[in-house]
Amino acid sequence: MSIDDSLLEGIRRSIVDMEDRQAVELTRKALEIHPAEKILNHALIPAMEAVGNEYEQGKKFIPEMLLAAEAMTAALELLKPALARSDVKKAGKVVMGTVEGDVHDIGQKMVCIMLEGAGFEVHSLGADVPIDDFIQAVKTRNPDILGLSALLTTTAPRMKDVIEALDRQGLRDRIKVMVGGAILNQRLADEYGADGYAPDAAAATRLARSLVESRRSQPG
Amino acid sequence: MYYLYNQVTEMTPMERMKAALAGERPDRVPVHIYPRWAPLEYLGLKFLQAWEMPDLYVKAQILGQERFQYDCVIDYDMMGPVEEALGTVLKYPENDVPMVKEPAIKTKEDTKKIRWQIDPRKDGNMPKVLYVIRRLKEELLKRGGGKQHVPIMTWGSCPSRTVGCLLGFQKWFTIVVRDPEWARELMELAFHPWLEMVKAEVDAGADMVWVNDPVSSADCISRDSYEKLTQPMERKFIEAIRRETGVPIVFHPCGNWHDRLDLVAQNQADCYFLGPMDIRLCVEKIVAQNQAGLARAVAINGNLGATSPSVSEKKIPLPYATTLAAGTADAIEAECRELIQAVEGSGLRSILGPNCWAPPGTPFVNIDAVVFAARKHGRF
Repeated sequence: MSIDDSLLEGIRRSIVDMEDRQAVELTRKALEIHPAEKILNHALIPAMEAVGNEYEQGKKFIPEMLLAAEAMTAALELLKPALARSDVKKAGKVVMGTVEGDVHDIGQKMVCIMLEGAGFEVHSLGADVPIDDFIQAVKTRNPDILGLSALLTTTAPRMKDVIEALDRQGLRDRIKVMVGGAILNQRLADEYGADGYAPDAAAATRLARSLVESRRSQPG
Repeated sequence: MYYLYNQVTEMTPMERMKAALAGERPDRVPVHIYPRWAPLEYLGLKFLQAWEMPDLYVKAQILGQERFQYDCVIDYDMMGPVEEALGTVLKYPENDVPMVKEPAIKTKEDTKKIRWQIDPRKDGNMPKVLYVIRRLKEELLKRGGGKQHVPIMTWGSCPSRTVGCLLGFQKWFTIVVRDPEWARELMELAFHPWLEMVKAEVDAGADMVWVNDPVSSADCISRDSYEKLTQPMERKFIEAIRRETGVPIVFHPCGNWHDRLDLVAQNQADCYFLGPMDIRLCVEKIVAQNQAGLARAVAINGNLGATSPSVSEKKIPLPYATTLAAGTADAIEAECRELIQAVEGSGLRSILGPNCWAPPGTPFVNIDAVVFAARKHGRF
């Protein structure tokens, strides 16, 4: 392994190991010899994929995911100015939020961070988001995907309300809608009229990629 | 005994629940669905209305039990009266339980600013919870001609959940790994206010306690973190409730706990209200802990909606309470039968119920199907 490669491997490792200071330090060094895009594609994205895989396998849990995400976010902050200058093509644009009445936001935050780490442009509306705010964000941001999150049996039906509101506003065909949260499953996602459901942040990233691909391959 | 209109005598719900929670055989399997929403919907109420008018909540609980014939009523449960009294700001949605809007603790320094000694009879909304318990008791005694036929289940928040509410859940999860000593210190501090509240709830008339932990499942933290950090406090809380009140204790491990069922059973509850897990695996692990002298479980409540999951050791692709909310009455009856067989066949007592609370919008006929199944398949 060359010194260059070991630097990228070091960033990957430090994110997986939740070492935010080390991730920042190594990213700063890497920026002296690598373009930001290379660091993103060869260190940050693989690191978050590894973290997501470990979560799916039951080797990492919410605390470890959150701390790894903090390390990745800290490293990404250093890359952002260079990425903006280099006009790197984004994997897609996502607007994300937890539906109205539900203040639980850890799940959707983890999805946002994973998506950002995977090269998506992400706009989080936070938790307890009214339907009108989702509609407004879709109109102004023009995302590929609208992500809806809910934790509770009482709030999950709001997803259907949001999707119906998109329909009424003539926006439904412009975007893909993905849903997630502890209470959700594929059957409910279908019932609400969503285009996809993901059980966790790693699966959400894969789903987002496939939804963007299918959206971009749609005629018109 | 209960004298029904059709001239049949049965145990009262109180006798039935108490028997099951003591490991004795009642006349038939009891039903506890954690009846939050059905009674409110039966009276056409939103939760906020019932929170603002406690007598309406009492009326809904009493009439709901009479309508559906399940075997206990609940107080306001699953609220945050203690956390609120300690400084967390709650948001009260129109038709949901309160949620954390602004955590009380943002830095370690804040820990010292909190007034940890609180009085359940005076501070915040705790007296309102106690009022509801007293009113439930009065109404139940009135209806029973001086005898209480239906038990009141109250609620206690285990220390890990309490600290999550005081700190915000994201912060809680990060300190579990980054600063376990602080996590432990906070749980110790949060332990006594809720213990005092549970004691006051029992003094007010509650007959049994439901304790839940929604933050230590395999969906949330590692087995190692549970074993070293949150389970010991959970056990300490349950043992203190038993020592101080003597009432039966039901523990709800919320979510999927497949990889730590042995540790759950060791927290010394009398009964486990199970989430969406494989019932046979749960029964096997709990009975094994009993046989090893490490647990004292006598009954299993809940789990409806997850009797035949596709199980891996950790992840299960299951929704919460799906069958009760969205299944047919026939499917519910069949699952109840399977649950009764799995639990009673192990020597534990079965108490029918869903794998999380019976969700809003659950068709009344589906709740009827659970009680019907208890009468048809759970009679001894």
